[in-house]
Amino acid sequence: MNGRKVILPGDKVTNGKVSMPGCFAEGDSTFAAVMGMMDEEGRFIPLEKRYRPAMDDAVVGMITDVRHAGYDVELNLPNVGFIPSRDMRTKLELGDFVVCKIREVTEVGDVDLSDVRRLPKGKVVAFPPAKVPRLIGKKLSMINMIKESVGDLLVGNNGYIWISEKADIPLAIKAITMVDEGAHFSGLTDRVAALFGKEKKGE
Amino acid sequence: MDKTKLLVDGKRLDGRTAEELRNVRIETGVLHEADGSAYIEWGKNKILCGIYGPRECIPRFEASPYHALIKCRYMMSPFASLEEHSRSGPSRRSTELSKVIREVFENLIMAEKYPNTQIDIYLDVLQADGGTRTASITVAAVALANAGIPMRDMVSAVAVGKAGGELLVDLGKEEDNFGESDTPIAFAARSKDILLIQMDGLLTREEIEKAIGMAEGAETKLHEIQADSLKRHYESAGEKKFEM
Repeated sequence: MNGRKVILPGDKVTNGKVSMPGCFAEGDSTFAAVMGMMDEEGRFIPLEKRYRPAMDDAVVGMITDVRHAGYDVELNLPNVGFIPSRDMRTKLELGDFVVCKIREVTEVGDVDLSDVRRLPKGKVVAFPPAKVPRLIGKKLSMINMIKESVGDLLVGNNGYIWISEKADIPLAIKAITMVDEGAHFSGLTDRVAALFGKEKKGE
Repeated sequence: MDKTKLLVDGKRLDGRTAEELRNVRIETGVLHEADGSAYIEWGKNKILCGIYGPRECIPRFEASPYHALIKCRYMMSPFASLEEHSRSGPSRRSTELSKVIREVFENLIMAEKYPNTQIDIYLDVLQADGGTRTASITVAAVALANAGIPMRDMVSAVAVGKAGGELLVDLGKEEDNFGESDTPIAFAARSKDILLIQMDGLLTREEIEKAIGMAEGAETKLHEIQADSLKRHYESAGEKKFEM
């Protein structure tokens, strides 16, 4: 944790009304609504977060229903996402993994999807959405390093990670677990690099 | 017949003083598949709490387009205490407790952020020894924080009652059963709002005022225990909890 203070829901974040993720304003102060911590610049970093769909997010999902009008997609959300058939040139099948862009989120949380791409055979693992930025890293540093060592993988904003069949799936899961468990400690990139270094030596 | 005294020289049956809590220990993040979870050992009470959601509201007709539905299921295991609890289905008692616990959290959770969904709070009493509703509220607040469900405040609860003619904090089973009154009180940590108060037996107006003051003192301690448990969980991330 590097001496950073853990903040509980209802704890004061700053004086004055400030808009920050996972916070709410009441009176003249801003309070945390979820577990989080403060970084050096005084920003609130949520430690727990439910995925909230936003326009233009890239998400990984699985087809759960095939209908005449389109497809339902499981996206780690309370509601399923929807792909209209008329936007699709190819047909999708039940259980297919897809990566798509969120076109619209209605006020009751229904999600419309576009720019659909069917993913080749592989494995999808769930990852906490609050830690996705850490898995991607600054200027994609972390995700590029993992890709270099294990092969093709894709991280959705919703926390689903698709790992290609051709990639080293056990090693990829090991690295992802490492990021998950050490997400709010510094020096994470070095430790993941050390993991890959060790694996190479073992061969 | 010589009646056993509940209070001797200001000491209670288990040697506590009037304002002393039983030992409380909370463990955060004990269930793997739940969105959030916590386990509490409060004296001899043992309660496991799991949070699921926000997820699709079932049955669909109950869903509200304005806010998430909060559902709470408090259940006492058939083996939880000395008395017969027979089958663990819903009973008059568990229905009431589920309702009062649900209403505590309806005041705290920002349900308007998740329309058309439900949030489930499952509370399983594995061992009971008086004060399970207060322990349930205390542990459910920790589990909800662990689940990342936005809340306006943390909450903890404690019972204040009268036994042996004196006001006592955190009544045990015997004090509850053979005492004069039992009043569980739930306080929000920051705003100090009273979110639950139920009086069983009778207290005078002055006694109620004193009881609320005593509960507030105990609840400051409980909030520290909750905060400590959550901080321990997040600071020790990566360490295995229950390794066989």
